[in-house]
Amino acid sequence: MATGIQRSPKAPRNGRTRRDVMARGALAAALTPLLTAFRTPRPAADDGASFDRVHRGRRIRGTRDADGHWYVTLDGRPLHLMRRADGTWLSMVDHYCSYPAPLDAARAAVDALAPGEQLRGGGHGVRA
Amino acid sequence: MAYVRKDAATLTADEKRRFVNALLEVKRRGEYDEFVRTHLAYYASDGERGLRTAHMAPSFLPWHRRFLLDLEEALRRIDPSVTLPYWDWTRDRSARSAPWTADLLGGDGRRSDLRVTTGPFAYREGNWTIRTGVTEGEFLTRDLGRRADPIALPTKSDLEQALKEPEYDVAPWDSTVTRGFRNRLEGWGTGRGSASWRNHNRVHRWVGGAMLGAASVNDPAFWLHHAFVDLQWYRWQRRHRGARYLPATAPGPGDEQHGRIVSRREKLPPWDVTPQELEDVGAVYRYA
Repeated sequence: MATGIQRSPKAPRNGRTRRDVMARGALAAALTPLLTAFRTPRPAADDGASFDRVHRGRRIRGTRDADGHWYVTLDGRPLHLMRRADGTWLSMVDHYCSYPAPLDAARAAVDALAPGEQLRGGGHGVRA
Repeated sequence: MAYVRKDAATLTADEKRRFVNALLEVKRRGEYDEFVRTHLAYYASDGERGLRTAHMAPSFLPWHRRFLLDLEEALRRIDPSVTLPYWDWTRDRSARSAPWTADLLGGDGRRSDLRVTTGPFAYREGNWTIRTGVTEGEFLTRDLGRRADPIALPTKSDLEQALKEPEYDVAPWDSTVTRGFRNRLEGWGTGRGSASWRNHNRVHRWVGGAMLGAASVNDPAFWLHHAFVDLQWYRWQRRHRGARYLPATAPGPGDEQHGRIVSRREKLPPWDVTPQELEDVGAVYRYA
């Protein structure tokens, strides 16, 4: 039931890690193997390597730590990413479609911004 | 007596003026930015843990229905004659048609910085400063039709693909389902590129700028778009008599979606209301 999982509109949605997602996937897999066989998020290797490059004049950097968390910045400002159940990624800039890897989502965010338009500072970076 | 939501293309000059003025007053009072923050806070993705209510979930439609009613109530406290208009994007398909006129939403963003410079929500008018946004700019942005790589709005035939679905939603109730009215309308597709952006999602992309991001509510176009999406739910119910919101009951403890979606008779955060209570709002409003 919904009891206990409500959150206030202003509650930050952090603290959820990709490791938790994987652990949950493992638990669910034990309970419903047929269902989760094709629904567990893809392995981290598919997300691509860390990157640091210039796309259309904007510097995009993405690093993955040992726990598999991604941190992506655009001209030094954090670009928050979310993950879909099919393993693809969407960003705060481009929220109504998703991309195969964090690098693709970062490039798409640059493409959607106006020239010189900067992300607002003070937000959190990638939580994944 | 139910009030009527009208097609934006049919509004009189007086109806447009009253709607715009009520929106500007909600913004001036500081209430509007709370709507932006609520939508931001409730956008949870299905590849992560936690309850999803607004997107990638069966409650996409009732969540936005209740959200629209909240704004409409705020507008009607200011001017009881105002109702939310809807934008029929299957018919008004260009950057110059309704609702992109100077007497309603204003037009496209300019090329240099995507800033909207016409209509009541143009920054220079001083009434629409963006305070809760993804980017630093305080001005509303749009890129109608995505000039650099043009895309088209969804068509009647695209909408028909959703309306013909006999079931409201199907397991696993997320963005990966390829059947069911809800996701066919919400528009999470599979594969890459523009073929994977459908109906509701594709319209957000077509408008671009603020409407493409997590703070899409900053563009008043959000409400006109979602009123048309809401109308589709009513049309789908009329076509599939007796078809109900699904799931009827919550997924059990062994289900991967346990505790992650809202079933028909569960409360739909942040409100004290259930999807069932939002299935028929004919006593509150109807569409013309």
